[in-house]
Amino acid sequence: MKYMLMMNTMKTGQGVLAWPEKDLHAHIAFMIGLNKELQERGELVSAEGLSFPDQAKLVRAGNDGRPITDGVFPESKEFLAGFWIIDVDNPERAYAIAARISAAPGAGGRPLNMPVELRPVMSGPPQEMV
Amino acid sequence: MNGPGQRQLRNETRDETGAKNMKYILLMSGTRAGIEGYHTWSKPDIEAHMAVLHRINKDLTASGEFVATQGLADPRDAKVVRGEKNGAPVTDGIFPESKEFLLGYWIVDVASSQRADAIAGRISAAPGPGGKPTNMPIEVRQFANHESKSD
Repeated sequence: MKYMLMMNTMKTGQGVLAWPEKDLHAHIAFMIGLNKELQERGELVSAEGLSFPDQAKLVRAGNDGRPITDGVFPESKEFLAGFWIIDVDNPERAYAIAARISAAPGAGGRPLNMPVELRPVMSGPPQEMV
Repeated sequence: MNGPGQRQLRNETRDETGAKNMKYILLMSGTRAGIEGYHTWSKPDIEAHMAVLHRINKDLTASGEFVATQGLADPRDAKVVRGEKNGAPVTDGIFPESKEFLLGYWIVDVASSQRADAIAGRISAAPGPGGKPTNMPIEVRQFANHESKSD
């Protein structure tokens, strides 16, 4: 069963840059350790971090098919900060991994307890679209 | 095991694939109300839409820019998980009406940000009901761990 675990942030998510370097290193070490463990268990499909939201763009096709780019987003918008795709035996295992990510250490080494969005990945297009 | 399209290409294999060393993720999102709208499309409209998306994937594979694409299941199955004090997962399925859910994504490896925008433009122009372009907004985001080609 494949799931995508998403770590979202508001535009102010750059707060991590204000963390003491030691805390940032502990956070990154935690994430590297987790990814290694998931990989060893054969549960990791991929994991990536995205650049900060100030570099995000919204693209629409104009009438001639040319891209029209826009960098203005509503204040309330959640931006994807990073994601994991995992392949696990049951939803409970996906929840457990999401909870570990949620409890990653933040400033002062305290668990962040950040919300992690969990979504089943489609194994193929819906039948009516094939 | 996963198909080759869903695996991350590691740096050392990039050159063999013709990859261009700038990775972007193109995100297609919508609110729950917007997503319900797709269920009202006619079958030919859905088929025309999917045919264009398949064509884009094929073109990206041919140009060596394709890394991965994936569709996500219906947002009704989405959950938000937090770790409790003891690390036990606490799940919740309530989201604000305004929340945008990810529908699917493409990861591309391109030579410039303009190229990423152009690909997003093609996806945005995929046909919708009656064959008219959907012109849906595609969010373009660069990966954090991009390195320079000179190392």
